[in-house]
Amino acid sequence: MKKSLLFIVVLALVLTSVAAVSAADSKGLIYVITPSHSNPFFGSEAEIAVAKAEELGYTTKSVVHDDDANKQMELFETAIAEGAKAIILDNAGADATVSAVQKAKDAGIPTFLIDREISEEGIAAAQIVSNNYQGASMVAEYFVELMEEEGTYIELTGRDTDTNAHVRSQGFHDVIDEYPDMKMIAQDTANWDQTEAFEKMETMLQANPDVKGVICGNDTMALGAKAALDAAGKKDVIVMGFDGSDDVIQSIKDGGIKATGLQPVAAISIAAVEQADYYLTNGKFQKEEKQSIDCVLVNAENACMYAKFAPIEGVTSCK
Amino acid sequence: MSETQFPEKTGTLENRAENPDDIILHAEKITKVYPGTTALNNVDFDAYRGKVNVLVGENGAGKSTLMKILAGVEQPTSGKLYLEGKEISNGSIKEAGRNGIGIIFQEMMVFPNLTVTENIFTGREKRVNGIVSYKEQRAETVKILKKMEQNINPDQLVGELRVGQQQIIEIARAVSEKRKILIMDEPTSALSNDEVKVLFKLMRELLISGVTIIYISHKLEELLQIGDYITVLRDGNKMASAKVKDINLPWIIRWMVGEKHTMKSYHQTRQIGEELMRVENITLPRIGGGFSVDHVNFTVHKGEVLGLYGLVGAGRSELFECLCGYAKDASGKIFIQNKEIKSRHIDERISDGIILVPENRQVDGLVQTMSVGGNVVLSSLKNLMKGFWISAKEEKKAINKKVEEIHIKVPDTNNLITSLSGGNQQKVVVSRALLTNPTILLLDEPTRGIDVGAKAEIFQLVNELASKGYGIIFVSTELKEVISVSDRILVMSKGKITGEFTREEATEEALVTASAIGHELEGVKNA
Amino acid sequence: MPELKGKKANWLKIESFLMKGRAFIALIFVLIIFTIIVPNFVNSTNLVVMTKHVAIYATLAIGMTFVILTGGIDLSVGSIAGLCAMMAGGFINEGITIGTNTYYPSIPMVLILTMAIGTFCGIINGFIIAKFNVAAFIATLGMWYVARGFAQIRSNGLTFPNLVGRAELGNTGFPQLGAGSFLGISYSIWIMLVFMLVAIFVTRKLPFGRHVYAIGGNEKAARMSGVAIDKTKIGVYAISGFCSSVVGLIIASQLVASHPMTGDSYEMTAIAAVVLGGASLSGGIGSIGGTVIGAFVIGILSDGLVMAGVSSFWQQVAKGIVIVFAVIIDQVQRRLQERVSLSQQVEEKENR
Repeated sequence: MKKSLLFIVVLALVLTSVAAVSAADSKGLIYVITPSHSNPFFGSEAEIAVAKAEELGYTTKSVVHDDDANKQMELFETAIAEGAKAIILDNAGADATVSAVQKAKDAGIPTFLIDREISEEGIAAAQIVSNNYQGASMVAEYFVELMEEEGTYIELTGRDTDTNAHVRSQGFHDVIDEYPDMKMIAQDTANWDQTEAFEKMETMLQANPDVKGVICGNDTMALGAKAALDAAGKKDVIVMGFDGSDDVIQSIKDGGIKATGLQPVAAISIAAVEQADYYLTNGKFQKEEKQSIDCVLVNAENACMYAKFAPIEGVTSCK
Repeated sequence: MSETQFPEKTGTLENRAENPDDIILHAEKITKVYPGTTALNNVDFDAYRGKVNVLVGENGAGKSTLMKILAGVEQPTSGKLYLEGKEISNGSIKEAGRNGIGIIFQEMMVFPNLTVTENIFTGREKRVNGIVSYKEQRAETVKILKKMEQNINPDQLVGELRVGQQQIIEIARAVSEKRKILIMDEPTSALSNDEVKVLFKLMRELLISGVTIIYISHKLEELLQIGDYITVLRDGNKMASAKVKDINLPWIIRWMVGEKHTMKSYHQTRQIGEELMRVENITLPRIGGGFSVDHVNFTVHKGEVLGLYGLVGAGRSELFECLCGYAKDASGKIFIQNKEIKSRHIDERISDGIILVPENRQVDGLVQTMSVGGNVVLSSLKNLMKGFWISAKEEKKAINKKVEEIHIKVPDTNNLITSLSGGNQQKVVVSRALLTNPTILLLDEPTRGIDVGAKAEIFQLVNELASKGYGIIFVSTELKEVISVSDRILVMSKGKITGEFTREEATEEALVTASAIGHELEGVKNA
Repeated sequence: MPELKGKKANWLKIESFLMKGRAFIALIFVLIIFTIIVPNFVNSTNLVVMTKHVAIYATLAIGMTFVILTGGIDLSVGSIAGLCAMMAGGFINEGITIGTNTYYPSIPMVLILTMAIGTFCGIINGFIIAKFNVAAFIATLGMWYVARGFAQIRSNGLTFPNLVGRAELGNTGFPQLGAGSFLGISYSIWIMLVFMLVAIFVTRKLPFGRHVYAIGGNEKAARMSGVAIDKTKIGVYAISGFCSSVVGLIIASQLVASHPMTGDSYEMTAIAAVVLGGASLSGGIGSIGGTVIGAFVIGILSDGLVMAGVSSFWQQVAKGIVIVFAVIIDQVQRRLQERVSLSQQVEEKENR
């Protein structure tokens, strides 16, 4: 018994020390809400926003909604109850997020959306996203170039419920469909997931062993597909992804995956925090609500210039 | 004939070295307190080397508790254990095992899903390079079974064996563990007479090889037959101990139950009234062909105790399952007070006035997580409603009434049912049935695993209930019980009714003969 | 000597008292911790917000308690909540099309239809479990897939946005369920309270409740006692399905949108709340009150860790530890209770 009581005390101390965040001398609290921390994309996004906000003198709380709109709503309510000054949000669904953002607005808290938009305007303080369509078209053009404008290919799309999945697919096809000799022999969703992409790729290879290229809605799926292709001994198949994660950049450097569209995550996160700071200091919005930032094509020629979804300072070439 | 020639084969008392001072296990001033009761109060107990040391007492006398303490299953609240004169502590059943003490439980502890071999070696598998070697285990199993003269396939699943054979597997396990002391808790309660004979033969062989046996049973004649030393417990106290050859049955009963009562006929003459239930062509097909219950017809009258006797597998329990609505495939007609009842489910049959008190309390009778009171009212909640909910007042009243009527010994009806002794648990199941106001009460072995005193109370109760006008069908495998309590006796064999006797006609011989009809071939083989 | 024994017994009594309501102790414990480390933790706004969050899990967990009391498990509650959210969203935005006519049900009708669908899913669970003797784990795992699948089929994986209805169709007012309040307390909290009281009444005062406990304690004995096993089992899964549908409605209403992944993995939270509340997964033991307290512990823990700024990874670790630890405490407490009553008996004996 004594031991278990001791355990309670220890647990309490651990929690206390973990939570020992000093709130003194702060310009206020900024909530950073993202889908998860375990995915490198969302992890970097949150990390960069937190670093920028703390640099500007705010305290921060970085929490995740696991793509659960109800949990996101709970986090908003907690943030409101706690008196947050602003919320930086990568949301859990274009429609399902509207009411949460509205709620924050009603409580006088501006929400700065990053990465994904919501379905209504005039509620959020800003919606800063990467130009998914531009990025996808750019990747598709390079894909066509490497495929030499002909051959069979497979497309792995993102989660059906996610707008970006559709935008990117549209961007791919608006370019590729212009070339009559490019033939899509299979298309399926792998739900943004690496394992699922691996399994789907293995299955598709059974039916289409001669595939020449694979284009994926994001990097994790590209990594999964690439692993399946390597395992099947098909190292020559052209694989491209989207996002610009460090894993894929490494793969590009190693001659694996051919290219990816790098989302300017760092630029987006920093812009959101800076605009929040501007609003909190000056009481008005710095820019119009809808903003998009262009993606960058990363391939073997410039892969060494990028890390953590941002250009590396001082590196200007790969020579 | 010299004794030295065939000592192993005969193994009578005289052949074994007998030294009264040769105590292998000595328990000193053992006290054990449970929630609700003091199970043992300063009890001393001696087990003599190479003998059968018998422990008797009514239910709740503390026998099982004492045994569990000796076997390391429970720890005494106070008191000491000495093995070969040295103090030991049996902190767990495993530690007791290291001290050479093994136990065979009343509720069998076999794994029905494993083979005979696997059962014998569970928990101490023979390993070759860390991997279980079934081959070695099997070889040793064959050896043991052969030594025990048992014709059992070592690869058969234990669940497929007869109950008696399962018991033998447990003994084989203890033998293979080479225990010095073997505790047996009512090993014969589920066995047929032939199986008991086999068991006793095995026990004698164990004694010769130097094993000490501590033996518990409710069957007193049995104790006199197999026992060497006897210790009697009553209400947690040690009452007496003696050499079995110096005592007799009345001696045991006197110490067990005090001056309260001795064996007698429990039948009271009473007026048998009109017909309460008539059944026609009750039939239950058996899986794999044939019938478990084969076109059975009979009647029960008001105030009548109808005894139902038969060997294990004769179809008595199955007949009860047909009557109470448990057997889904049953067919035939049932008339209650000349009205045919059409219900098929147990709950509807209960409303129609037929309820079963099942044979196996622990498995079929009690809800172990509920209180005594909760168990008593479980079948009759509908009658305790006030408006559309259960009235706490009515419920309390009903519980208290039954507890008093049936003499359930319980300090508080909110206590868990598991805190009661076996006899009292049985009374709870009976009182649950009575609370539904049945017309016909089916009692399946209501005296199984309970002691003489509790049995007497159950018989008394059966009489009282019959006098109140219930129709009672009473199943037992104990001839004496059936004869002593019934107004009329039906005998079943192979699913059929093979004999019907009035109280006057019924003799043990006649019943046994009727119960063997259809069994002749097997009878020859067993004899 | 007796004096010392008496003292020991007293200490045991205190310990046992502390351990008795493990969920309650855990609740006080998390409240104290967060009050110390989170500046704004105890104020009325925050407590109301937290209670609102708890209400969703507690409502699911109340239904789950019935199932677990019978010794079963319902893995499909989150999926059924998702399906119901989608059905409600569909009724409001797209109506019901029969042939060429589209009929838009009024909001009360939407609620009734949706709850009927959830209850029906539960009845299917119960029917499969009771009549075909399928393990509850398997049957509800099947429903877990099927309901989630249908939730996505209903809208092709998309979200039903802006569930405000249209005045000309007479189906406005759905958001009221999530946003409205009575006496300053949101409807979802009232729903939880009403469900709790009704469930306590059912478990204690109705034969159905007793039958639920009896089946969990010993199914065979309950059957022999005339308990209608099949009906009772179907009943508990229907209750669980009903509670899930209500949760789906509340979430859709709060978000003013319904998303096919609504309620994903909520079954685990519900099960954790039930177990934390003192229920045994093997059935027969547990209570509604305990479950609601269990839901509060989990809810406050979640919100408190967020407010304390603990990283999302450590949040999971902390939740896991609290759940397992609470169950360990329960085991210790059961042994302790025995010791207490023993020492009382010893005392009585010595005093005699």
